[in-house]
Amino acid sequence: MAAREELVQRHLPLVRSLARRFAGRGESLEDLEQVGAIGLIKAIDRFEMSREVALTSYATPNIVGEIKRHFRDRGSAIRIPRNLKELSAKLGKAMERLTATQGRSPTIAELAAELDTIPEQVLEALEAGSARSTVSLSSGTNADDLDPMEIVGEEDEGYDRVEDRASLEPAIGTLPAREREILRMRFEQGMTQSQIAERVGVSQMHVSRLIRKSIDQLRDELL
Amino acid sequence: MQPESIELTLPAGREWHAVARLVLGGVADRLNLSFEDLDDLQLAVERLLVEAASQDTVMLRIDVVDHGVRVGVGPLVERTIADALQGPDAEPGELTLRRILQTVVDSFGVEEFPEGGIVVRLQKAVRGR
Repeated sequence: MAAREELVQRHLPLVRSLARRFAGRGESLEDLEQVGAIGLIKAIDRFEMSREVALTSYATPNIVGEIKRHFRDRGSAIRIPRNLKELSAKLGKAMERLTATQGRSPTIAELAAELDTIPEQVLEALEAGSARSTVSLSSGTNADDLDPMEIVGEEDEGYDRVEDRASLEPAIGTLPAREREILRMRFEQGMTQSQIAERVGVSQMHVSRLIRKSIDQLRDELL
Repeated sequence: MQPESIELTLPAGREWHAVARLVLGGVADRLNLSFEDLDDLQLAVERLLVEAASQDTVMLRIDVVDHGVRVGVGPLVERTIADALQGPDAEPGELTLRRILQTVVDSFGVEEFPEGGIVVRLQKAVRGR
């Protein structure tokens, strides 16, 4: 186990390097590095010394494949109008204000009244807040970018399908400590998003996003 | 009084989940569900939609019931979901679909779909203000 950890640590610069090639396409570099690290761990777990190939060569397509899959799964063709973007940016603050003054999570109608808009706009803005822009994985952000597709090899072949589709447990160790703690507070201790937000020091909407993202990531790990 | 129900058949791909979320949001607004309760309900439905990923389509049936909303998701052809939802509670430290649903909805159950597969029923109450 210590050797595995050491291998992971030793190859994290490779993950960072590959993740940077996908930066500027609508996902934070930190997120891409985390996703890439999952690909690295998978590669290490499946690596066989007898293949007579360097771990770096073996891991690269796995890391890139994991990042590609992340984009594919998060990708959305929705182009978000500016007014919705602006409303989405105001929602988090409005949510915090109303939760603080009312002592409970606000309704959609209350959020609409607070932001002087209609409930349908609030729902669209909530959705816009979680949407991602469409990206082409073959298009660089500048002329010097190496086309990510050039370094993509075969990915995921031979990955075992996990039989117990309903259990997210085996992959939970791949999450960052904060996300693991948030999941534990929500699903073991039964804390509400507002309570978690207060404990962790982030907004309720951010807690909501982290929970969804973590569960999505765990679920993807098992497919 | 006419029962208030919405039936929605969706392609099973993840890119269509937003449509389900928006419809649930519209219903939640009419019922004065809080944002957190709506978010919980959306999470529960999304987890079940993900389990339908290998299918062409999946259906949502949303019923407005006394003091809350009931949502049916199905038919799901993956029968292991029924076993997982009806099996024993998760151990401490485990995160299973059953545990997620236990946390985010007030009750859930599994029913056989007449033409094959299962339908998972979720119920969420409107809390008093």
